[in-house]
Amino acid sequence: MDSPENTWIVSLGETPGLNAAVVGGKAASLTRLISGGIEVPSGFCLTVFAYQYFLAQSDLPKVLQMELGRKPLDKMRWEEIWDAALRIRSAFLKTPLPPELVETIYEALRQLNPQHPLAVRSSAPDEDSAQRSFAGLHESIVNVQGQQSVLRAIRTVWASLWSDAALLYRKELCLDPSKSRMAVIVQEMVPAETAGVAFGRDPRNQAVDREIVEAVPGACSNLVDGLLEPDRWILRRSSGEIVEWQAGERNAERHDLPLLNDGELRVLHTRLGQVEKLFGWPPDMEWAEQGGTLSVLQARPITSGLTDSQSDERRWYLTLRPKFMQLRRLAEKVSTSLIPELDRLGHQLAGENIATLDDPTLADCIEERRSSLISWREIYKKEFIPLAHGVRYFGAYYNDALQPQDPYEFMILLRGQDFLASHRNAALQKLAQGAQTNPALQMKLTEHAMDLSGRSAESWTHLKKKIADVQGGEVFLVEFERFLATFMDTSYNGERLLDQPDALFNLICQLETIEHEGSTHRRENEKATATALEQRLLEAVGTSRKEEAREVITIGRLSWRLRDDDNILLGRIESQFLRALHLGANRLRATGRLSGKNPSENSAPLIVQALQNAQHDTIHLDEDQPETIQHHLPPNETPRQLIGQPASPGLAEGPARVVNGIEDFRNFQRGDILVCESIQPTMTHLVPLASAIVERRGGMLIHGAIIARELGIPCVNGIANATNVICAGDQLMVDGYLGIVTIGAPDFELEGQAFSEQP
Amino acid sequence: MIEEPALGSGFEAEIPLSQQSEEPLSLRIRRLIDSQPFAVLCTQGEQHPYGSLVAYSMTEDLTTAVFSTPVTTRKFQLLSQSDRVALLIDNRSQHLDNMMNVEAVTATGQAKRVQGGRDLEYWSQLLIARHGYLSNFVHSPTVALFCIEIVRYFHVVRFQEVQQWIPQKIPG
Repeated sequence: MDSPENTWIVSLGETPGLNAAVVGGKAASLTRLISGGIEVPSGFCLTVFAYQYFLAQSDLPKVLQMELGRKPLDKMRWEEIWDAALRIRSAFLKTPLPPELVETIYEALRQLNPQHPLAVRSSAPDEDSAQRSFAGLHESIVNVQGQQSVLRAIRTVWASLWSDAALLYRKELCLDPSKSRMAVIVQEMVPAETAGVAFGRDPRNQAVDREIVEAVPGACSNLVDGLLEPDRWILRRSSGEIVEWQAGERNAERHDLPLLNDGELRVLHTRLGQVEKLFGWPPDMEWAEQGGTLSVLQARPITSGLTDSQSDERRWYLTLRPKFMQLRRLAEKVSTSLIPELDRLGHQLAGENIATLDDPTLADCIEERRSSLISWREIYKKEFIPLAHGVRYFGAYYNDALQPQDPYEFMILLRGQDFLASHRNAALQKLAQGAQTNPALQMKLTEHAMDLSGRSAESWTHLKKKIADVQGGEVFLVEFERFLATFMDTSYNGERLLDQPDALFNLICQLETIEHEGSTHRRENEKATATALEQRLLEAVGTSRKEEAREVITIGRLSWRLRDDDNILLGRIESQFLRALHLGANRLRATGRLSGKNPSENSAPLIVQALQNAQHDTIHLDEDQPETIQHHLPPNETPRQLIGQPASPGLAEGPARVVNGIEDFRNFQRGDILVCESIQPTMTHLVPLASAIVERRGGMLIHGAIIARELGIPCVNGIANATNVICAGDQLMVDGYLGIVTIGAPDFELEGQAFSEQP
Repeated sequence: MIEEPALGSGFEAEIPLSQQSEEPLSLRIRRLIDSQPFAVLCTQGEQHPYGSLVAYSMTEDLTTAVFSTPVTTRKFQLLSQSDRVALLIDNRSQHLDNMMNVEAVTATGQAKRVQGGRDLEYWSQLLIARHGYLSNFVHSPTVALFCIEIVRYFHVVRFQEVQQWIPQKIPG
C-alpha cells in the first residue's frame, strides 16, 4: 500500500487513504468507515508528503532547528517552549505554499460542495492510539470558507504540530519531535441539527456492560469546545437499552426533554456496533445528525491505556490551550471575586491587632493565617496561573489575524496599565525626589543604607530617631512609613519587606538620580501606536468579529495586569502570616523558650505548639548554613558566553549583582547588572537602577522581560544556573538583541602570562 | 512568588545542579578532538592573519598539539615571525544540515619548532600514530615539526554557547 512521495492529495474513501503513515490515523479511520458503508462527510486528505514538500521548499526546517536547538528541550521551561512555539507558528503562517501545491489543493477543493463550509483538521501519523491521544492538542479549524482561508487553515494546522502542548506531550511520550509529520483533512461540514460524542464502552470502566452517548444541539464543536453542557445517556452495550439519562444545559438552563428520541439512540447504538466490528475496538466517535442522516465525523480508540499520571499530564497540556469561553469565565471570576477578596483579606489581616492576643489565641491566629496562605496558594495555581493564558490567547489571536513581522507586536497593546507595582514605584520615586531636596537627610539615608549592622525592630526604632533628628527627617519618616504600610506589606523570597525598611534607603538615594526625560513622550507615542494597532486588528477580523476581538483584547489586558497584581496581594497574605509568626517567636524568645534563628514558614507548627503549651520543650532553630556558591564547574572550566532568550533589546555592560534576598537590595548600585532566579513583582522597584537583567527563568512574557522592555533596558533570560555560574562583581556584557551574556573581557592575558613565564 | 509550574519530566521543578551538569567539558573537548584529525591553524605576520588546514595529533592531557609543515610554506614563514597561534577544530562537516549541532574548539597557544634528537622522534611518532600516511612527509628534510603548547580552549556549542577550559599538564 505504498504511496508515491508525490501523492499530495488523497480523497477520503480512496484506497491509499488507508495508509495511516501517509494520511494519519484520523484520515485512515475515515476512509475505513467509508469503505465499511458508513456515512462520512465528503473531503480529502493532504498527505504527510505535502507537508514535507512544503517544508522542503521553505526555510522552516532552519527556523525549527534554531528555535528548538537553542537549548535542550528538557531544560526549557514551558514558557520558553511557548515562546518558541509562537515564533514557529508565526513563521508557518508567513510562509507561502509552493504554487504547485496550491494548485493541487484548489483542484481538490473544486470536487467539494461549494455551498458547505469546511473543517480543516489535523491527522498526524502518531496521533491517536489506545495508549495515547493527541485529541485537542493539535489544531482543528471549523467553518472555513474561501480558498485563501483554507490555505491559511492548513498552515495553522501544520504549525500546531509544533505547539507548546504538542511538543511537551511528544516529549512525554518519548516521540522525537523532529521526526513528526502531519497530514491534514479538509472535509465538508454537515449542517447538524444535533451532534455529539459516543463511546462504545464506558471510558471510566470498560469492563461493564455500558456505552455512553452525549448530544448537543447544533455542531459537534459546541460540545468539544465546552460551549454547551451535553445531554448524556448511559445505554446497555449488549441491548442498547437506556439505563440513565442526564439532562444537559440549553440557554443556560437545565431542561426536561431529552435531545434524542429512542429511535435516534437506537441508530447510534447500532452505529457504534458497526464501527466496532469494522475496527475491532470500541470507538470514541464524533457524530452529527441532519434530516435523519447520521454521519460519523471521526472514530478513534477509547484511550484506555493511559496511566493516571499520563492522563493527568495530557490534561495539563490541554490547559495550555484554554478555550475562549473558559478564559472568559476565569477572567470574570478572578477579577470580580478572587482578587477583591484577596485584597480585602490582606487589609483585614493587616488591621488586626494581634499584639494583645494571649499565647494560645496567637497560636490559633498563626494557624489560621497559615492555612489561609496555603489555600490562596492553591487558588493561585488553579485560577490565577491559568488566567495568564489570556495574554497568550490574545497573542495568538492577534498574530493569526495580522501575521505581523514581529510575533510579539501584540504586547504594545498591553502596555500602560494600572498595575499595583506602578503605583508603588511612583510613590517610591516621589519619596526619592523629596529626599533629593534635603542634602542632610540624603546624607543620613546614604550612611544608613550601607550600614549592615543589626536588623531588629529595636534597631529600626533607633534608626528612626537618628533620622528624625535631621531637619525634615520627621516629615520624611511619616511619608516613608505611609509608603511602607501601603506598598511594602508583602514578601520576597520568604522574607517580609517590612522587616528591613532601611534596605530601601539605598534605592531612595539612587532613584532620584535617574533621568526620566522623554519617558512621558515615549508613553504617548506607545499609546498612539497601540490605538493604531488595535484599529488594524479590528479591521482585520472584519465587522462580524469586532466584538469578539474587543473582548479578546480586554481579557488579554486583564490577564496581563492581574498576573502582576496577584503576586503582590498574595505576598501581603504571606507577610501577615510572617508577622504573626514572628510575634509568637519573639514572645517565646523573650521567655527563653526559643533560641537560634528567626522562624521560617516550615517552623510554624513548632512555634504554634509551644504557644499552646507553656510546658513545651525549649525550641532551638539552627542557623542556616551560609549558602556556598555552587560552581558546578571544575576550577579550570569557566563559562565565557552564556546563551539565553533575547527578552528585551539593548546592549549593556556592567558588574554583576546577584540578588537572592532583601539583603542584596542594600548593595545594589546604579548600573549594576541584576542577576537573579526570576524578577518578582514584589521587587521590581529595584529594576530602575539596573543597566540590564539576567534571569534563570525564561520567557518573553514573564515579569522580568516585561519590566525590562517597559524601562528600555536589555534583558536576557532562560540562562540555566545564571545565579550559580555568574559571581557578584563579574564584568558582564548583556546583548539583549541576541540573548548572549559574555563574562569578562575578550583579552589574551592568560596567554601573555603563560608565554612570559617560559624561559 | 509561586513559579508557574513546569510540565513533564524535567519540567517538574528546577533540576538539581548535580543532575544538570553534563559530561565534563574536558571529555567533550577530547571527544571532538579524537573525531577530527584535521584543524585550521591560525597564524599571523606581516600585519596579516592567515589560516591553513593541518593534520595534527594531540597529547593525552590535551596540553600539546603537534603538526608538520614544509619549510617553504607561508605558514612556516609566519610561524618564524610570531609563535602565537590558534587552532580551530570543529565537526561542521558532520552537521551541514543543522548548525545548532555543530561543535567547535579554538585552542590558543604558542608554537615551537621541534629540532632533532629524541624530542623529534617522540613528536614525529605521535603525529604518525594518527596519520600513518604522513610518515614519509614528516621525515622529509624539508619538513619542520611544530608543537603547540596550549594555554586554553574555547569550546562552542549551539551556535553561541562558549566555555573556557584550561588543560593541566600531566606530570612526567
